[in-house]
Amino acid sequence: MLPLRVDDAFTSMAIDEALLKLNAEGKSPNTIRFWRWLPSTVSIGCFQSVEREVDLEVAKRYGVDVVRRITGGGAVFHDHDGELTYSVVCKQGDVPDDVIESYRLICGGLVHGFERLGLQAEFKPVNDVLSNRKKISGSAQTRRWGSVLQHGTILIDPNIRQMFELLKVSPEKISDKFIASVFERVTTVVRELGRKPSFDEVRAAMRTGFERLLGAKLVEGELTSEEFELAAKLKPKYAPNGWLKKR
Amino acid sequence: MGYAEFKAPKGVIKVELELTDDAISHVSISGDFFMYPEDALERLEQALVGVKADRESLLAAVQRFYSSTGVQTPMVEPEHWVEAILRAAGE
Repeated sequence: MLPLRVDDAFTSMAIDEALLKLNAEGKSPNTIRFWRWLPSTVSIGCFQSVEREVDLEVAKRYGVDVVRRITGGGAVFHDHDGELTYSVVCKQGDVPDDVIESYRLICGGLVHGFERLGLQAEFKPVNDVLSNRKKISGSAQTRRWGSVLQHGTILIDPNIRQMFELLKVSPEKISDKFIASVFERVTTVVRELGRKPSFDEVRAAMRTGFERLLGAKLVEGELTSEEFELAAKLKPKYAPNGWLKKR
Repeated sequence: MGYAEFKAPKGVIKVELELTDDAISHVSISGDFFMYPEDALERLEQALVGVKADRESLLAAVQRFYSSTGVQTPMVEPEHWVEAILRAAGE
C-alpha cells in the first residue's frame, strides 16, 4: 500500500499505468493506493469522444483538467475536495477471469471499507458500489500484459452542480431515468454519514476493508524509482496534446 | 454521415457512420461501455467496413468479431452494436 498522494491527472494516470506494466513484468508487487486529484479533473473512458462528453469551455473556465483513461466506462468529474480515489494493481491470476466477478471481488474491499465507516454498502454489477441503493463508488478496470488495474471513485462530497455543468449528458441516458434526479441515484459519504470525515479517515477505513477482504495485513511501501521513471515517460500520453482527442 | 446512439444495458453506444452503396465505408464507435481487450474496438470498426447495413449482415459480422477475438463486453451483446449501427444508418 502506497502513501496518499495528491497529483495532477496526467501524473496519476501515468502512475497507474506504470504500476500495471511493472506488475505484469514482475517488477512491482500487487499494489493498492489511495489518491486525490489536483486540480479537479474530468476523466473520460478510453472509448469516449471528448467533444461529445465534456464541455471543454466550462472546464477551462473552472480550471478543471480533462484526461482520457486507459480504462473503459464513462466520464467522471473528480472533485479535489470531494473524492478519494483508489487504484488496485494485481496479477490477472489473482482475480476471477470473468470480468464482473473480478469487479465483485475488488469492490468487496470497498464494501467492507464503507461498512467500517458506518455505512451500509453493497456491490452492484458491473462496477458500482451502492449505499442505500444509491451509487457511492464507481470503478473501471483494464487487463493488460497479464495484470489487472482497477481504479475508482469514493464519493465523499463532490460538487454535483459543477459535475453537470462539465459533462454533456446524453438525452437518451436522461430519458431512461427521467424521473430520477441525480440525487436519487447517487449518494456520498457525507450524505449517508451526516458528517465529513477526513481523507485520512476514509483511507484508513478502506485499508481495513481491503485487509478484511484479503485476510492479510497490507504492507506500507513507497513508489519505487523504477515506477517513478516509467510514470514520467508515460505522462505525455495523458497530457492535453497527447491522446485526449483520439476519439 | 449518420450519427445515432443506443443505450445497451451497460453503456451508451455512439456510432458515426458513412454508407456507400448500402455498405459501410466508414464507422467510428465511441461510448461508455467496457471492452476487454480495449484495442479490440478498432478491430470491430475495421471488421464492419464493407458490410451491408442490414440486420442480418451486421449481426453475422459482429458475431464473427466476437468469436475470432474472444472479446468480453459485460452486459453489451452483439445485437446492441447492430441496433446502434442500424440507427446511425437510418439517420
